[in-house]
Amino acid sequence: MFMKTFEEKWTAWVDDQLTGRELAEFEASLPDQAAALAEKNSARQLGTFLKEQLAAVPMGNADFFSHQLSERIVRDERAAAPARSDSPSWWTIPRLFWTGATSLAIFVVCAVMVINIRPTADHSQYLTQILNARVDPTLSPNATVSIFESKEDKVTVLWVDGLKSLPSEFASK
Amino acid sequence: MTRRAVLLFAIAGALSLGTAHARAGETVWSGLVIAENAATPAAIPSELTPIEETLKELFGYNQFRVIGESRKALKTGEEDWLASSKYFSLHVDLKGASPAGYVLNLKLFQQNDVLLETDTKLSRSSPLIIKGPQVGNGQLLLVLVVQ
Repeated sequence: MFMKTFEEKWTAWVDDQLTGRELAEFEASLPDQAAALAEKNSARQLGTFLKEQLAAVPMGNADFFSHQLSERIVRDERAAAPARSDSPSWWTIPRLFWTGATSLAIFVVCAVMVINIRPTADHSQYLTQILNARVDPTLSPNATVSIFESKEDKVTVLWVDGLKSLPSEFASK
Repeated sequence: MTRRAVLLFAIAGALSLGTAHARAGETVWSGLVIAENAATPAAIPSELTPIEETLKELFGYNQFRVIGESRKALKTGEEDWLASSKYFSLHVDLKGASPAGYVLNLKLFQQNDVLLETDTKLSRSSPLIIKGPQVGNGQLLLVLVVQ
């Protein structure tokens, strides 16, 4: 057991917690019992008054405050979300790497396929095309130009008629 | 896992490099050809073998003799070259390349005179034949082939 201080004994006396010999000793130790009793009564009245005033006041709009609290909690949780960003994600480094590599491989395969398919998509692309042809009218005033394609042999022919005939020595190397 | 990644990148690189290399290694053969009839025709030049039947059917001659030629390996896509015989020359100016072939400007010279000029889009799989002037009993032909 330990010795109570005067203040502890005083508080216990005001709250009527002292009994028996302890009560008698404490009251005997008081220098002015009348003043002490007056102070005790005053303290008890103050306690009673505070108990009455500080009693829980029933709230008329409890749902509103409950809703406000819920929203505040949600907001706080959202604000705290970035702090959890260091938690494990599906996009780990190996997965990122493999996703990139797979995408690149698919791109290359598609590019090769498109390059290989393109010439067969349009017949004009695999046949040589004559864009234009000119013959000097002063040298060959009667020349005519025609174009035809042999799609079976994939040959394009620029057929020029009316050029000036030349002697056989022009055929030499 | 790292080995698989390296293998994947190697395959992708090989595919792309292989495609680019095929373009860079192409050659254009340009020839001045005299088509004529001979009692004992000489063998057709190897460059004309794929179109031998077409040449014979179109022009009605049985012999095809190369009097001037040029074989140009394409590197930059902006080359120009000359195939010449004694009296004729064919100037070829490469204007650009596309996936389908090459854009060319062709000029046929008879000594200093331009007999014929044409712009053409030469396909890799389609030879070009130009009928030139009558020469003696034969016919001058210009032939371009991507090899």
